[in-house]
Formats: sequence, structure tokens, C-alpha cells
Amino acid sequence: MRVLKAGFILGAGVLAGLSISLFMNVAEARKPFSQQDLKLMNEELLALVKKGDQLWHDPKLGKNGLTCANCHPDGANSNPHTFPKFQDNVGKVATLREMINWCIKKPLEGKELPEDSEEMKALEAYAIYMYRGYPLKPGDNTREYPPVKVESGAGYP
Amino acid sequence: MKISRRQLIKVSAKAGMAAFTASALSPLMGVVNVVEAKSSRKSKISPFNFVVIGDTHLYEMPDHRFDKTFSRAINDILNMNPKPDFVLFIGDLAQFGKVAELEKGKRFLDKLDKAGIKYFIIPGEHDWYLDMGETWRKMFGKPYWSFNHRGVHFIGMNSILVRDYWTARNMSPEERMLAIAELECHICGLWGVREEQLEWLERDVKNLSPDTPVVVFTHSPLWNYYPRWNFQTEDAPQIREILSKFEKVIAIHGHVHQVVYNKTGNMVHIGNLATAWPWPYPPVELPYPKIRMLRVDPGDIYDGVGFASTYIDDTFLGKMRYHTWAELIPDDLKDGVPL
Repeated sequence: MRVLKAGFILGAGVLAGLSISLFMNVAEARKPFSQQDLKLMNEELLALVKKGDQLWHDPKLGKNGLTCANCHPDGANSNPHTFPKFQDNVGKVATLREMINWCIKKPLEGKELPEDSEEMKALEAYAIYMYRGYPLKPGDNTREYPPVKVESGAGYP
Repeated sequence: MKISRRQLIKVSAKAGMAAFTASALSPLMGVVNVVEAKSSRKSKISPFNFVVIGDTHLYEMPDHRFDKTFSRAINDILNMNPKPDFVLFIGDLAQFGKVAELEKGKRFLDKLDKAGIKYFIIPGEHDWYLDMGETWRKMFGKPYWSFNHRGVHFIGMNSILVRDYWTARNMSPEERMLAIAELECHICGLWGVREEQLEWLERDVKNLSPDTPVVVFTHSPLWNYYPRWNFQTEDAPQIREILSKFEKVIAIHGHVHQVVYNKTGNMVHIGNLATAWPWPYPPVELPYPKIRMLRVDPGDIYDGVGFASTYIDDTFLGKMRYHTWAELIPDDLKDGVPL
């Protein structure tokens, strides 16, 4: 059953979808999301992905002019679907966010982001979105994965 | 396997003995009955080495990490014994096409000049789109050229010319540069060498006989690898057509920052490493998946990068040896990739 987190407020459109139908004689507590709900939710996600895309290409994360995209065009070889995994360079089992911070600190020579910051969430959203459809493989340290194939444009709608 | 003339053992007139000018690269281990050994232009090649280096992507900042890797490469080249006949710089000297970046790059390259090692250079997109190549041309001259060396015809071309994506969008030169500096540029489109260079190429090779050994340098590959990242040259089919008259062409490219190899018709293609940073393999099947580099340690600025030394023998068999500073090249390629 899908549960909406408290605080995720999209306005009246979503709230309307939460009202329980008294006429439906089923065990479902809530109606499925309407097309409008889904559209709004997806727009929110893509806005975060887009912010992540911008940050992925922004030298302000580091001190030496480099960006995430220098080594990871389209998020390539960031392998978000393989975390958590033991990271040689971190010396322990690391999450994607810890790895992102390692990259900011080492190759980019910048300052680590708070792990719960909007920027961190955006970077994570971008990386994961560029690997949409990949099966989860936590712990996989065996190979370099390419991102989803992109013909042109940003790689997301 | 059809045995081509270049794989035949040459007969020496001396004392009627067959002199084995054994090519270390020849895959042919058996004994061949020599029926005839026509002298050709190929036998006029005297074996030599040259170096391919590029994708240095220099930033303005002093003591930048990419200065360190380029500097190490230059020092290694200066210490090579025997010295390479020349160095070929395969594009992307600068990161954002700035005068200061290009000047910094030229200071590095001039060290080769001072040591008596001549260098040739072609541009990459990072050198070009701030001022449309103005500074680059002032410093290095024409972006396409050809020359003959020890019996081999060398060609260099500017393969990074794109259609105007900036005027309609009212972009400043800086905005134009920043857009194309992203490998996955969302708006830049495909690049190529365009009409003027195609016509020039046709004229350049018109009077060369088909058995002329030809080596061609472009920043981007002359085959359709991954267009999204401009791992391609839009008019490569025309280039390949013009060069199809030759028995064999060796095509060397940069831009991909990785080990990659392919064959098309009469051409062998090989990619060069960057000295700046490595790029991951794109989501396509590689034609020769065994010829690729190993996993890179992102914490080591000397891993995933390097340059190449290319050896050409007297039968126009080439061998490109990747010169690296970390465990990057699989064991069976350490001795070089046959071309």
C-alpha cells in the first residue's frame, strides 16, 4: 500500500485523492492517485532531477574547476543502483551520498555537503534517474555500468 | 587468411640469401614461399616511433592537477630513448578555450621544441568555441594539414565543426563555450570536418598511389561510436570513402579519453587516452570489447590517463603502446595494440 509522507504537500489536487470513498466496498483505504496527482508528483521529481543535473555540471561544488560531469557524463559510471557497497577509497561500506561526498572532497577538492541537504538529494536524484530501469545490485563492485542510452537532449523529459 | 604483400618475407639480393626482416608484429608465424617480392613504396618506410598525446584540458589556475599529469607526460617524452621522431597533439589542449589556458599549453609543448622534438597539433572543441579558433590559429596555424615522413603520409584534420547553435539563442561566446564543454551538450548537435576540408582531403590524396601508407589524425573517431557524446564525426563516411583507395589507413583519434579500437574496411581506428581524466564507456556494444582499459582508481590523479607511443615498421604494420602510470592496461595489451 502506498503511503504519502507527511509534509509532502502538493496542494488540493493531492488532498482530494486522499478522501476515502464510502461507496467502494473494497479493502483499499484510499483511491489510486489520479492522473493529475501522478503528473504533479512526477513534475516535482523532475524538478529535483533537473536541479541535480545543474549541480552535476556546476564547478561551485569544488575548488579546482572540475564538476561531477568531468568524469561522469550523463551520470555514467556513478552506478547508483550498486549502493550500498564496500568502497575501497572510503574504506567501508558506503552509501551513494557518502560516495558523492568523497568525489566532492577528493577529485573536486571541495567541501562535503551535509548528507540531508537539498543539493545532496538533487545530485542523488539525478544519478538514480539516469539509471532508471536498472535492476538493483547492492554490493556490486565488479564492473563499470553505462547510464541509460540517450539519443539527445538531457536524458530525462 | 589472405596473405598480403606486406606479410611476405622480403628477399635480399645479398648472397642470394633470404634476409628475414622479421616484423615483431606480424601475426604470420609460418614460412611463406616467396614467389616474388616487388619493391613497393612500403619498402621505403624506415621504421620509426612517434608519440600521440592530447586531451590535457588545462585550466587557468596555477598548479592545477591537470598541469601535473601533462607535465609528467612531457617529462616522460623528453626522457624517451630513442627520441620519438615527432609528437602529435590530438586536441583539447585547453578546457574553456581561454588565451591563458592555450598559452599555458603552448609553454608545455615548447619544451618539446626546445629538446629538438617537433610537434604537430590539431584542435579539439574545448580549444575552439570561445573565439571560434582565433587564438588557436594565431598560435598554431592551420587546423588541417598533411606531411610525408619516412615514407608515410600523415594527415591531420579539424573534426569538431558544428552548426551554429548560439546565434538564434543569443548566446555570448562564454555561454557558447560552456555549452560545448559539456560532453553531453544538450544543444550542440553533431560535429564534423565539413565541405572545405573534404575538398582539401580529396585534392591532398589525389596523386597518391593506393599502396601509400596513410595515417590520419582527428580529434573525434571516424566511426559512429556514441553520437550523443560526439564520439563520432558526422562526415566520417565521406572521409572513409575518399581514403578507401588506399590498401591500409591507420586512424588515430582523441576525445574519448579511453582505450578503444575498431576496424572499418581498409582502416584501423584507435583511441588515445587523455592526460586529464578518463571517460567511462558509453552504453553501446564495443566492436572489440577485449581492447579496453581496466577499472580506474578515482583517487589517483595518475590513473586512467596517459599518452601513447606508436611504432611503424617497414611494412606499415603499426603498434600503439599506451603509456600509463597505473594498472590500466590489460596484460595482453601491455606490449601495444597491433594496428
